[in-house]
Amino acid sequence: MQDALGHLEFRVMEVLWAHGESNVHDVVQRLGRPLAYTTVMTTLDRLFKKDLLVRRKSERAFLYAPRRTRQEWERKRAGDFVAGFLASPQASGDLLISSLVDAVGQYDTALLDELEKKIRTKRRELGRRGKI
Amino acid sequence: MTLSYLPRLLCISLATFFLVHLALGMGVALIARPAARLGERIRPHLAARCLLVLRLLPAAGAAFIVVAVCLPSYLWLEPEAPTERVGFGCLSVALLGTAMWSISIARGLRAAAGSRRFLRNCQRAGRPTRLPGEHTDVWIVDSTAPLLALGGIVRPRLIISRGVASALSAEQLAAALRHERAHWTARDNLKRLCILLTPSILPFAGGSRTLERGWRKFAERAADDRAVSGSAHRSVALAAALVRVARMTADAGDTDALAERVDRLLREAPPSPAPQPMLALSGILLIAASLAVAILQPAALYSVHVALEHLVE
Repeated sequence: MQDALGHLEFRVMEVLWAHGESNVHDVVQRLGRPLAYTTVMTTLDRLFKKDLLVRRKSERAFLYAPRRTRQEWERKRAGDFVAGFLASPQASGDLLISSLVDAVGQYDTALLDELEKKIRTKRRELGRRGKI
Repeated sequence: MTLSYLPRLLCISLATFFLVHLALGMGVALIARPAARLGERIRPHLAARCLLVLRLLPAAGAAFIVVAVCLPSYLWLEPEAPTERVGFGCLSVALLGTAMWSISIARGLRAAAGSRRFLRNCQRAGRPTRLPGEHTDVWIVDSTAPLLALGGIVRPRLIISRGVASALSAEQLAAALRHERAHWTARDNLKRLCILLTPSILPFAGGSRTLERGWRKFAERAADDRAVSGSAHRSVALAAALVRVARMTADAGDTDALAERVDRLLREAPPSPAPQPMLALSGILLIAASLAVAILQPAALYSVHVALEHLVE
């Protein structure tokens, strides 16, 4: 999961997930390595723009907090990966996955309308015969 | 180049594998299209099995020749001379054999790693859920993607996106899950791995596409048959599920496969294939054992050894 964020971004997120709402100074202190105040401030701003943090002004400084819990964020990331993977052209062709979608491929609406019409007709036919 | 006893054996084995594979592969390439067409006239599970056997035949046949013929001949008749000259031709063919195996092993490993990653993400994004009427957990992924799949080999997992779960009615979902479970029963993911790990029937030139596409098509139909098990009710439900999931995909594209499958399900409620566990495998093992016994005669081994000497030179 870390590869979705830069190393410093991920460390900053870890600090915020562990300690909750913090200002830039708090994050610098908790990172446990000497980093310039402005570097951390820029990183927090970038994470806010990526919609991973929320912030509010308290006196003259911003307080940052994670928008999602770590578990929620990991779940969302995984969901995005799955959706992105399914949208890719090779999809499951070269994977050890038997997929109903892979089996049916991608189709035009007219054909699907036609097939649904056939299914309705078959249902009616079976209904008349008392099978459904 | 001069090589010692064991490197020479390795070189001869790889070269023999490549040459036998090439010969068998050319034969299989010739009958691939007629075999795929013939598949339309027999039961899908038999068609899928035949095409799979043809796809794996060159590699399996070449491996059999190496293990059952070359190895015994070399080990019994080759004097343990410390070194012997190996010709350029033999070395080149052995290198081609090595390259052929490297490509297919890399493809298999890439597929295994990609599948593992996909499943791990599905599990992170989802929750195990016991659906009504089901005996095992299904992973429901919080996504609107058109996902309904069986992933993995050792511990396969059924994965559905929330979008699909809510788009299908209860009976459609049950039919679709039966379809995926049929892939599980047929060990289709393991067969996929075998296909990926096996060199193409014509090394470096592909030639496996017809057989692989045919196998996938008939494996899907066989899974349909197992899911439906002769019930008209389930047949219509599965057809409806296919169309419903297809509607969730974004783009227009190939339409034949879906139309064929839906038409087939509506035309008849295909009966489930009768289980024939190990029958085909037992037959293949019996034939291989008989061949090995026939070949492992002193005269035959001597002839093979002479042929190998020519190959080395």
